Amino acid sequence: MSTNVAIEIKDLTKKYDDKVAVDGISLEIYKGECFGLLGPNGAGKSTTMKMMYCSALVTSGELYVLGLNVKKNYREIKSRIGVVPQEDGLDPDFTVLENLLVYASFHKIPKSEAELRAQALLRLMKLEEYQDRSVETLSGGMKRRLAIARGLINSPEVIFLDEPTTGLDPQARIWIWDFFKHLKSEKSTLILTTHYMEEAEQMCDRVAIIDNGRILTVGKPRDLIRDLIGKEVVEFDTNPVDLNYYLGRLRAEGFAYQVIKDTVSVLVKENQEGRRVVDLIASDKIYIRKPTLNDVFLKLAGHQLRDE
Amino acid sequence: MKFKDYFSRPKVNSGAFQVWSRNFLYFKKTWLVSLFWIVLEPVIYLGAIGFGLGAFVNNMGGMSYIEFFFPALLSTTAMMVAFFEGTYGNYTKLTHQKTYATIMLTRVGPEEIVAGELLWAASKGFFGVLGVTVVALFFGLIDSYRIILALPILFLLSALFSCIGMIFTSFARNYDSFIYSTSGLIVPMSLLSGTYFPLEQLPVGLRYIAYLSPLTHAVSAVREILHKGPTLWVLIHVLILLLATWVCMNISFFRIRKKLLK
Repeated sequence: MSTNVAIEIKDLTKKYDDKVAVDGISLEIYKGECFGLLGPNGAGKSTTMKMMYCSALVTSGELYVLGLNVKKNYREIKSRIGVVPQEDGLDPDFTVLENLLVYASFHKIPKSEAELRAQALLRLMKLEEYQDRSVETLSGGMKRRLAIARGLINSPEVIFLDEPTTGLDPQARIWIWDFFKHLKSEKSTLILTTHYMEEAEQMCDRVAIIDNGRILTVGKPRDLIRDLIGKEVVEFDTNPVDLNYYLGRLRAEGFAYQVIKDTVSVLVKENQEGRRVVDLIASDKIYIRKPTLNDVFLKLAGHQLRDE
Repeated sequence: MKFKDYFSRPKVNSGAFQVWSRNFLYFKKTWLVSLFWIVLEPVIYLGAIGFGLGAFVNNMGGMSYIEFFFPALLSTTAMMVAFFEGTYGNYTKLTHQKTYATIMLTRVGPEEIVAGELLWAASKGFFGVLGVTVVALFFGLIDSYRIILALPILFLLSALFSCIGMIFTSFARNYDSFIYSTSGLIVPMSLLSGTYFPLEQLPVGLRYIAYLSPLTHAVSAVREILHKGPTLWVLIHVLILLLATWVCMNISFFRIRKKLLK
C-alpha cells in the first residue's frame, strides 16, 4: 500500500441484525485531502465513518486506517485520529476546560502538556473566556466548537467530522467552515459527512455519494457536476397540463431533465445552449443557473423524502 | 456467554484508572454535599432503629441491639450506595450523557470503561462505609481495631453490588426499569438478610433463601469479625462473596461490552 493513502476500504459491509447498513463499498482516501461522504438520511454514511474511527465493528471486508487494520490495531488508530461525533457527547458534569483535560487523560497525554494544548485550542476556537463555564450553559455553536477542540487535542493525523454543521445557525456554520479551511491549509486529512451540498462543493477535494449502503459515485465535485449534469441548469415552473407537452419538446431537442413536482430542471450539456430551452418553454418563471452538487445528489439519490 | 467465561479474567489496562479518575474528579467537586446525603440516611437508621427501637430490645444473643444492628447498617450502606451508582449513575453515562461513547473515541476501550466504572461504584460505596464509620466513632460504637478487618469485606460487598448494578444497567430500558430491581431485590434483601433481626426468626424455607442473598453473608461476616474476630466462618462468607463478585463482574463485562461495541 502506498504511503499517501489515509484510508483503504475493500468490500466493506455492516449489518445490524438483518438490516444491511453498508453494502460492500470500496474506497481510498488520500492523506491531505478533504473528503466528503454525502447521502440522504439512513444512507449508511455515518455507519461507514463509525467503522473508520473504530466505534462500530466491521461485519465483513477490509478497512485500513493509516495502514493499520481496524480489527486489530484500533487502539493505535484511535490515538492517531480525531473524531467530532454528531452528538457532541460533551460531559455535562464538567466545565469547558475540564472537558478537554479529561478527554486528554483518556489519550494518556501528560497533564502539563494537556493544559498547554487545551489552552491553545480554546484560544483557537474562541472559547477561552468560557473555560470555566459548565458546558450546559453553552450555545449550540460553542458546544460544537468545543467538540472540535476536543477532537484535536491529540494532534490527530486524520480528523473525522460527522455532520459538523447540522443544527447550527448560519454565522456558526460559516465560522466552522472557515476553520476547516484553516485545517485544510495545514494539510490535515479531513473526512466529513454533510447534508449541505454547497459547502461540500466548496470544501471537499473529493466526495462520495452514498445511498442504500452503496457508493453511487466518487470524484471531484467539479468533475461530477460536469459529467453528470452539464454546464448549466435551466429551471422552470409549469403546471400538470403543460408539463408533458414541454417535456416532449425538450426530448425532441435532446435535452436531459429532472422533474420535481411542477419544477423542471433541464441539464444543459457542454455542446448545448441554455438559451435554446428558454426559447422552447413559454414560462415566465424560468431562469438559467450554474449547476451544483445538489443537482448531482438529486439526480443520483432521487428526491423522495427519506425517513430514518 | 460460555460457562467458563463466567470465571475468566478480563484483559484490562491502565485506561481503567483514567475512567475511575474522571468520576473521582467529579466527586471531588461535590464530595462534602454528596457524602452528607450518602451518610445521612444510614445515620437516621442508626438513630431510629438502632437507638430508638433498639431501646426496647434487651438481649440479642449476648449483645445489645445496637451491636447487633451496626454491622448490618455498614453492609446495607455499602450495598445501597454501590448499587445506586451502578444503576442510575452508570445508566445516565451509558445513555443520556453518552459518556461511554465519547470515551470510546479515545484509546480507552470498553473493558477499561467497565473496569473503571465498577471500581468507581465500589469506591463510592466504600466512601459511604467510611462516612458511617466516622459517625459511629462519635457515638462510641466502635471500640475495637477489628473494624479495620471488616473494611475490606465491606469493600468487597460494594464491588459485588456495583457489578450487580451494572448488570441491571445493561438490561434497563429506561430509569423506571430500576424500580423493579430496587423494590424486588434490594429492599427485601436489606430487610431479610439477618439485618434487623436474626435469621433464626425467619420461617425455615425463607431462611434458606436468605442464604442466597449476598448481603446475608456480608452481614454475618462483619458481625462475626466485629464481635469474635476472624474465624473460619468469616473466611467461608468472604469466599462466597468473592465467587459471586467474580461471576457478576464477568457478566457485566460481557453485557456492557456487547452494548458498547456494535
